[in-house]
Amino acid sequence: MTAGEAVPPSGLWSPGGSGPASSGHLVLPGTGLVPGPVEGWRPLSDDPRWYERAVFYEVVPRGFYDSNGDGIGDLAGVVEKLDYLAWLGVDCLWLLPYYPSPLRDGGYDVSDYYSIAPECGTVDDLARLIEEAHRRGIRVIADLVINHTSDEHAWFQESRSSRDNPKADWYVWSDDDQAMSDIRVIFCDTESSNWTWDSVRQQFYWHRFFHHQPDLNYENPEVREAIMQVVRFWLDLGLDGFRLDAAAYLYQREGTTGENLPETHAFLQRMRKEIDRDYPNRMLLAEVNQWPLDVIDYFGQGDECNMCFHFPLMPRMFMAVRREQRFPITEILAQTPPVPEGAQWGIFLRNHDELTLEMVSEDERDYMYAEYASDPRMRKNLGIRRRLAPLVENDRRVAELLHGLLLSLPGSPVLYYGDELLMGDNIYLGDRDGVRTPMQWTPDRNGGFSRADFAQLFLPPSMDPVYGFQSVNVEAGLRDQSSFLHWLHRMLGIRRQYPVFAKGELEVVPADNPSILAYVRSAAPAGGIPLGAGPSAEAGAPPDNRAVLCVNNLSRFAQSAEISLGRFEGYAPVELVGRTTFPVVGSSGYSMSLGPHGFYWLELQGG
Amino acid sequence: MAPLPSALAALAAPYLERQLWYQSAIAGLPPAPIELSNCDVLRDGRPGLSRLLLTQGSRVFQLLVGWRPATAVAGVLKGRESSLLGSALDDAEPVLVYEALADDELIIDLLEVVSGGTETAERVRRVSTLVSHASVVFDERLFMKLYRVLEEGERPEAEAMFRLDSVGFNAILAPVARWRDHGFDLALVREFLPSALEGRLLALTSLRDLLAHASGSDEHGGLRYGQDVRDADVETAAAGGDFASEMRRLGTTTARLHLALRAAFGERTMDAGVLAAGLEGAAALPEGTPGKARELAELAEEIAQLGKGAVGPALRIHGDYHLRRVMRSEIGWIVAGFADDPLYATARPHPSLPARVGSPVEDLADMCFSLHRVAVEALAQRPAAEAELAGELAAAWERRNQASFLEGYVTTPAARSLLPREPATTDALLAAFELVRERRYEATPSEE
Repeated sequence: MTAGEAVPPSGLWSPGGSGPASSGHLVLPGTGLVPGPVEGWRPLSDDPRWYERAVFYEVVPRGFYDSNGDGIGDLAGVVEKLDYLAWLGVDCLWLLPYYPSPLRDGGYDVSDYYSIAPECGTVDDLARLIEEAHRRGIRVIADLVINHTSDEHAWFQESRSSRDNPKADWYVWSDDDQAMSDIRVIFCDTESSNWTWDSVRQQFYWHRFFHHQPDLNYENPEVREAIMQVVRFWLDLGLDGFRLDAAAYLYQREGTTGENLPETHAFLQRMRKEIDRDYPNRMLLAEVNQWPLDVIDYFGQGDECNMCFHFPLMPRMFMAVRREQRFPITEILAQTPPVPEGAQWGIFLRNHDELTLEMVSEDERDYMYAEYASDPRMRKNLGIRRRLAPLVENDRRVAELLHGLLLSLPGSPVLYYGDELLMGDNIYLGDRDGVRTPMQWTPDRNGGFSRADFAQLFLPPSMDPVYGFQSVNVEAGLRDQSSFLHWLHRMLGIRRQYPVFAKGELEVVPADNPSILAYVRSAAPAGGIPLGAGPSAEAGAPPDNRAVLCVNNLSRFAQSAEISLGRFEGYAPVELVGRTTFPVVGSSGYSMSLGPHGFYWLELQGG
Repeated sequence: MAPLPSALAALAAPYLERQLWYQSAIAGLPPAPIELSNCDVLRDGRPGLSRLLLTQGSRVFQLLVGWRPATAVAGVLKGRESSLLGSALDDAEPVLVYEALADDELIIDLLEVVSGGTETAERVRRVSTLVSHASVVFDERLFMKLYRVLEEGERPEAEAMFRLDSVGFNAILAPVARWRDHGFDLALVREFLPSALEGRLLALTSLRDLLAHASGSDEHGGLRYGQDVRDADVETAAAGGDFASEMRRLGTTTARLHLALRAAFGERTMDAGVLAAGLEGAAALPEGTPGKARELAELAEEIAQLGKGAVGPALRIHGDYHLRRVMRSEIGWIVAGFADDPLYATARPHPSLPARVGSPVEDLADMCFSLHRVAVEALAQRPAAEAELAGELAAAWERRNQASFLEGYVTTPAARSLLPREPATTDALLAAFELVRERRYEATPSEE
């Protein structure tokens, strides 16, 4: 699909039906009429580096769509919404944990690696989801929680049962709780130590997260092999890869921080090697909440993780907008080393966790709390548990600007479900549930999420007067051509036409106004001249080397700036949304004016 | 071959007299002829390049001249025809002579000469031309100051840059090359950080955000002081564009600068009496508000009573430290330059100390005053109807950022050794130096 492709202004994918919707048909609301098949979706690419260009979309299966009316979202429900996601422009779904779990940490406490929580469906449902997604050109990756299990996992139950059972060393046990005491406690709001006493085994066990999530002992080769078997099981089913939860903490050792140890890298490299050997075109996306200089190691020499999240960039985008100056962003970009060939950053604005502030200074954290989490209920651990729209006070222009940054900075963007609607949160729900409320599909009962009774629902849908499902929902967004949903769909289409957004070099362009952040994405190495393709590029086969100038006004006031485009002298910038040609770049500074929180993407043509 | 020095000198004298920068440089000096003291050929042939050192009374000037055949000049000067000096004979053939700064090829040659052949460039961008020097950027990577008005001995900026670099102080635009000859500093090449911005712009951005609270504070149902605006200090601390953390970082950078200056140039004991005498001298100057003169005189008297060593050490300081002299870059704050214009030697509050040696508190006071000036500048942009509320907010902004700057300074390890032992003495010095700065500004508002 392209940015300009018409979409049915009043169209809606059937919230309940499985036939037409799942086969790529549209149902007009209220009529039940099927107007005929839409143009076929994109085929699944055979590019082994597909993830470098992909737009990811994070789905909480329990909160996305309930297909069987039990009040809990499920995998079959995700299948029913695939056409919507394909229309939006999503290339890859990232499914949050669907494994059986006591759900004391949103499913990140797995009690069985080989099946699917009954409320989420079955292994067959997942297989169908993968198949249907692939038919629409969408890949599917899933969370893999390999650092720890739930304390209800059979492995742990056996391990704790005695000191000499076959799995006695599958977890990290100790007679005292002082070992490795220098290693920080991550969930500092709820846990006072990384050790917890087990009354059955009469020993302490190690956990980097909640006490009910004992860490697996990777020193034990049996554990390493067991996890590799889990990996193979799901890849055999057809998954396109994994998001590796808490990848930095697999090993721990006295006298270290317990993070980023060489042994951890060695294990991840082994995993990558086996996947590359047996499962082509799959990928690993690491969750490593560290500074870029540490995270870069998780790419190895291009032989470890294919992708890593860039955590420090995210809070700095918010900070830059609030401070109305570019340095929070340019500073972290300057500290970000180049990635090896075949590697890519994952960048995001919000996700299922709190807006993490681990990778900022104390000053910056205080600032972020003051600006974005004035109510203590909004805070969680070292972060802010809020969705995008409330964070930016529902300011459409700021939301567009932040997405403009997200889609144009180096990395593959990861969208969080519901943010395309500017959904709100519910800070009165516990833990991080406030940002995991049901997807809002329609203004009908339960926001179209489920036909179950309200009391049965997985979490209550938002009924907030501003963000509630009555006004903020997919149906309304689709009907309104000027909605944020349509805007994002168009921008994703434009982004797809310009591969430099995905893998081009980034060159920050000097601007004489601190509120203006300008950069050029180009296929040429920084300092080189990109090959100007000009407007005559053949339709449908855009060359990969068109450079794009991105200019962002981080201020809520109109701004002008002179930007230094010296090496692009003679080029004509063409705005990508309206295709308006701007004045040709001359030998002196290039003057630009931008409205409040405005931004331009400009193709640099000619030269 | 090259045109004869005498021929070049004959062309240079009238050329200089036509230049505004030259006229400013000799303003107030007794009339004297322009004479050639040195002529060095830097590039023979065509185009050619020579360096002229010319004197006019006690002043020494540097002028770089180039020459080409007449037919080649128009394409080179491209709109900079005012750089032409005239025609001369080169190897018996006529050439046109012009100021070499107008010729990209010659400027790149010059870079190679200045850097001893270690640097070259492809693109040239001319930036500000001030009275005492011209500035050129190469490939958005290197920045060259070519001194026009020369000063015997070491140019303070070049000296400070290299000495700071040698002691490992990295919050400067790293010096790359220094061109010295005939006892003068002739040019300085430094790293150029294209995306760095002067601190004043960031401060104004912060104020713009804050003062928007005052928008429509009267008739449009906007914020009203005492109602929507809780308290100017609270509002300032809560503003999105809060600048305090930046100023704290700048305070730290400033302390590191002073520690590095001490490491590079050493320190000496400051005599309170000498310092007080300097302050009294500043208080006695006729310019400025009489009330402030009295206040300064009182502070000077108070400082004079302090014992030996009570006012902290004297060391090489920046001497003209304000928000235009510092830049924010991706690597943090950097000190972009040092005041070294021989035409604008700053009056010393304690003339018995060597030039540019003084209390580090002077620099702190300069920066605090600079924050005040930015607040005044931002306020001037707001409508008169908002003056009361905007004024309150701007004053709160000034207080908050001055405090953060000083906090960043004093909490830097070892920074307390740069200050008087008693915090009250630091406060007194700070107040006194701010008054000196204020009076200097009142006398010459354009000085900053």
